Amino acid sequence: MIRGSCLCGGVRFEIDGVLKGASHCHCSMCRKAHGAAFGTYAAAKAADFRVVSGEARITRYRSSAGIVRTFCARCGSTLQWLRESKPDVVDVALGVLDDDPGVRPSHHIFVASKAPWHEITDNLPQHASRP
Amino acid sequence: MLRGSCLCGGVRYEISGSLKGALNCHCSMCRKAHGAAFRSRAGVKAEDFRWLQGEDLVTWYETSSGTHRGFCRVCGAKLLSRFDFDPNWYGLPLGALDEDPGVKPKRHVFAADKAPWYEITDDLPQHPELPQ
Repeated sequence: MIRGSCLCGGVRFEIDGVLKGASHCHCSMCRKAHGAAFGTYAAAKAADFRVVSGEARITRYRSSAGIVRTFCARCGSTLQWLRESKPDVVDVALGVLDDDPGVRPSHHIFVASKAPWHEITDNLPQHASRP
Repeated sequence: MLRGSCLCGGVRYEISGSLKGALNCHCSMCRKAHGAAFRSRAGVKAEDFRWLQGEDLVTWYETSSGTHRGFCRVCGAKLLSRFDFDPNWYGLPLGALDEDPGVKPKRHVFAADKAPWYEITDDLPQHPELPQ
């Protein structure tokens, strides 16, 4: 069981099973949404992802065709990245996890869009867009 | 002049003057607020910061005594922090900038609280907390 929550604690969720495919995303939309150098996500099965409290606070924003990003309406914490074409998968923003997810990011994506003020200094593979 | 905007474009701001003290903060509140490995921020003088549009879309959340974190209520983009104890300065998350600010984070703070799934691999100084 992996638990997560937003900054204000209003939204709480639990994930059974494991997270897979963790990556750092440097696309301009992730940078804007997070207000950060990059977003880091890993995938859970939707059936394994359970909102424990605060479902009504989860705000959805469609950032591009078929892509929905969610955040807490009260504190703004970025929570999920969802593909409408793949409703069985939830990409979870690792920054709101309360537990160590076990999984580690294995690559960088959309590095062609990375912030000019951030340098990637690790040895993970870098992809110009989504491989 | 430096410009920034949220993801949906509803909120836009501009900054005259320079950014100060850029750093990466790994504290648990910053990680939660941004939903990210860490927060990259710089200080901006309040008098140098101006909302161009959408100020009414900014929701403020008080995270610790007197610190207010602002985000766009439509798209959730993290935009600005203001402080009751120091109204002359704002904290600016670098991620919403549209242009190169010309500064880069120079250190990591609250590195003792960093996410277990993120390794710091650069050569910047690391402080376990916020140095005085």
